[in-house]
Amino acid sequence: MLSEKSLKAIAFERSKYPQEESRSALLAALRIAQEEQGYLRDELIEYVAEILGLPAIQAFEVATFYTMYDLKPVGRHKLCVCGSVSCFLNGSDRIIGHLSRTLGIGLGETTADGLFTLQEVECLGACKDAPMMQLGDRYYENLTPESLDALIAQLRGGSEDVR
Amino acid sequence: MLHIEIDGQQVEVAAGTTIMEAAESLGIYIPFFCYHPKLSVAANCRMCLVDVEKAPKPLPACATPVSDGMKIATASRKAKMAQQGVLEFLLINHPLDCPICDQGGECPLQDITMGFANPHSHYNEEKRVVEDKDIGPLITTEMTRCIQCTRCVRFGQEIGGIKELGATGRGEHMAIGTYVAKAVKSELSGNMIDLCPVGALTSKPFRYKARSWELKHTPGICPHCSTGCNTDVQSLGKEVLRVLPRNNEAVNEQWICDKGRYAYTGLNAPDRVTKPLLRDSQGKWTEVSWAEALEATLAGLEKVLARHGADKLAGLISGQSSNEELFLFQALLRGLGSPHVDHRLHQQDFRADAAMPLYPALNMSLEELEREPLIVLCHGFTRHQQPLTNHRLHKAVLNGGKVVSIDSMRQDFNFPVTQMVAGAGEDLALYQQLAGHFAHVHEEKQSDGLVDLAREMAAADNPLILIGSALLHHPQAADLLAQVESIAELAGGRIGWLADESNSAGAWLSGCVPQRAPGGHLLAEPGLPAGACWNAEMQGFILFGVEPGVDSLAGAQAVQRLRDAEFVLSISHFGNEARQYADVILPMAAFAEGSGSYVNNEGRCQSFRAAVKLPGEARPGWKILRVLGDSLKLPDFQYNELSEVSAAWHHAVGDYGMDIPPFHAFPALEAVQPIPAGALLRLGDWPIYQGDPLVRRAKPLSTPLVARMHPDQARQSGIQGEAVEVSSASGKVTLALDLDTHIPLGCIWIPLGYPETSGLAAPYLPCSVAMAALLPETQRAS
Ligand code: SF4
Ligand code: SF4
Ligand code: FES
Ligand code: FES
Repeated sequence: MLSEKSLKAIAFERSKYPQEESRSALLAALRIAQEEQGYLRDELIEYVAEILGLPAIQAFEVATFYTMYDLKPVGRHKLCVCGSVSCFLNGSDRIIGHLSRTLGIGLGETTADGLFTLQEVECLGACKDAPMMQLGDRYYENLTPESLDALIAQLRGGSEDVR
Repeated sequence: MLHIEIDGQQVEVAAGTTIMEAAESLGIYIPFFCYHPKLSVAANCRMCLVDVEKAPKPLPACATPVSDGMKIATASRKAKMAQQGVLEFLLINHPLDCPICDQGGECPLQDITMGFANPHSHYNEEKRVVEDKDIGPLITTEMTRCIQCTRCVRFGQEIGGIKELGATGRGEHMAIGTYVAKAVKSELSGNMIDLCPVGALTSKPFRYKARSWELKHTPGICPHCSTGCNTDVQSLGKEVLRVLPRNNEAVNEQWICDKGRYAYTGLNAPDRVTKPLLRDSQGKWTEVSWAEALEATLAGLEKVLARHGADKLAGLISGQSSNEELFLFQALLRGLGSPHVDHRLHQQDFRADAAMPLYPALNMSLEELEREPLIVLCHGFTRHQQPLTNHRLHKAVLNGGKVVSIDSMRQDFNFPVTQMVAGAGEDLALYQQLAGHFAHVHEEKQSDGLVDLAREMAAADNPLILIGSALLHHPQAADLLAQVESIAELAGGRIGWLADESNSAGAWLSGCVPQRAPGGHLLAEPGLPAGACWNAEMQGFILFGVEPGVDSLAGAQAVQRLRDAEFVLSISHFGNEARQYADVILPMAAFAEGSGSYVNNEGRCQSFRAAVKLPGEARPGWKILRVLGDSLKLPDFQYNELSEVSAAWHHAVGDYGMDIPPFHAFPALEAVQPIPAGALLRLGDWPIYQGDPLVRRAKPLSTPLVARMHPDQARQSGIQGEAVEVSSASGKVTLALDLDTHIPLGCIWIPLGYPETSGLAAPYLPCSVAMAALLPETQRAS
């Protein structure tokens, strides 16, 4: 179900932890699986659990807990808007509403052209510049409708993203 | 020792004690949800916040170890505010549907809310709704009520061996469930209902039947295995509505298994008999009065005695009967002159009878079992045969001990067990090999499972060897027992018995075996054991609480003999099987309807009382036996009260030890026919929910009848598809088939205890298989 390369990578992660602690490698293993396959199907999660010798439910618990794991296919650009308290107090609802209107999708949805996915996530530790979001491996802070419009135009124009 | 102060009271506690435990020891109550003394500490509900001097914020009592000089206030303003705050948050998403919730009246959330909450909530928005999960026929889920204490999840992981349950999602989206919908398969699952502090997990069969405060509580003893769990039988009017565990740290702690919890649902099975039944000369059954039924019984028995003599009369009684019933039963048979009294329908090899102990005793307490470093299970699948004794073995493993199982197939234990599996029919050889290895464990370098086991046993200080129920079901039981004894000797170990049925111990002590009188006194002229009665031309049978067709190894043969016999009296709860062969059926009190006592596996004598009235004209078993004895003019049957019978039992049995010699001297064992090599062998035993008349009839526990075979064996036997036709010398049947690598090659596993399979040859006898078309729907329900 996974390539030789990913299996090797998982085995390497596994080797970092003691014999009875295969659970510790779960986060990394799920990440590696997702990187290869784009998102985590149920069978893929079960498969990862099996590789690590864990009950499947443990992998499901982790995969459903962290918003960084995608359980459905996502668009090319995943807009992860923080909705936790600092961002919320600074208008994250407005940011999400604006994105939702501009892109024509709700939370957890992907645009028909497969370009954007909109997601609400928990605090990403950048509260001092709330409201913020993560896109690829970059943070975008002090968001305003205008700054978002500019970013989206750029991305639609095919600008190189960091994913 | 640390000195601390809680609410102004001084107390000294050991290092490592938590605030919760220290408070408990003072009798100070701190509200809690997720804490449970038998589970790991999760500290996720935060209900137990208390005020600790010099701590900047309230601390969770369940997870905070005390330190010297700590001053704790459980009810200060700060503690109160914290507790109220937590409750307010918990109630945000709780539906407050107490009026339609089965937990109402016994709900910690309800109680704590009444006792600790601020009556005003700041929350006016919508509550969350969580989808319910279907986790099987025993537990109803109402997940919106869940407060995510994770007790059920921890119970599953730490005690039940349930690996399917978990908490998925995060924060507001967190939900307890089995991510991919499936039934929770654990014989201990019902305990999650008791653990769940809210109405999220409730009993399905009990749903909407009654409110907890309306129920009458009667102390009971579970009749479904030799652990002898203490139960609380809860009833309303004439109906048993549920069975819950009653705390007894020495026996069942605070658990019972699902068999003990749900078997009561079989009480109202359609074939329950509540009136005496008589068969007329045309074979038609009619309900008659007790007087008529007794008259027919006496006439029938007298006819057998007159025509064939008492030597052609046999009495078979269930190992679930009370001591009082067992005692009267043997007195009845022996009073009539018949020596053939037995309760061991599950057994077929009786050659070792002379070596059998006074009673099958564990020879230690259940609690001591937890501290054993090395336990060798000989043909004992405790998980299904003695579920809560199994839990002690599980705890032994958690305490660093090791459990090894020797068996005819790989078993599905819920904790790590090293398993030695015999090849088809080679059980005896396996024990012989093990015994053989002791002679040279020190030279032997090779690492083979058995050699390692011998080495470990030899190195261990007094390893414990447990004789499982399935060992007694084996056709070479006597040889196996002799091997076990010599292995124990070679290893310098002790032997404990895992008693087969709930009151097997009582049956031995009461003299319901053909060679011993009450108290274990040897009889000069022993009768025939149960298995031998089927081919000894018996003409009269008195059956008590048994269904030999499914309760014995040779079902077809038993039924045939019963049909051919001149007179069969069945004293029974249920009629379906008895109607095939009996002449008179006398309706008897079933579980929760009668009083009496049992001796559990440890030798602990425990009594129980009737919880509900008898249905119809059913009578307590002991009264039926008393009346029979009395009308047959036997001496010593003039009992008026149960207590008089109990006293007579005690007197006859005398004081028996809890730690007794596990064997008497073995007689020379005559050779029996070897298990045929090369042929496909039938394996099988009574599955957990098929082992006695009541549990077989419990609908929520019913499990589809499935044969199991190793995939390679199926291929080799040319079987494809989901069904198989099995034929043996005595019968033929088509069964659903599961491929299962746990079954050794050369075997097919077919459960006992189902009427459908009772026509087949007994386990370890050859059978043949053929492809079969698909099955009638009923057999592949799930
Ligand atoms: S279902 Fe019950 S026991 Fe399980 S987490 Fe929820 S409230 Fe706790
Ligand atoms: S472990 Fe045995 S005695 Fe206990 S509840 Fe289960 S069947 Fe009954
Ligand atoms: S609350 Fe949004 S980054 Fe911390
Ligand atoms: S009982 Fe202490 S946190 Fe739940």
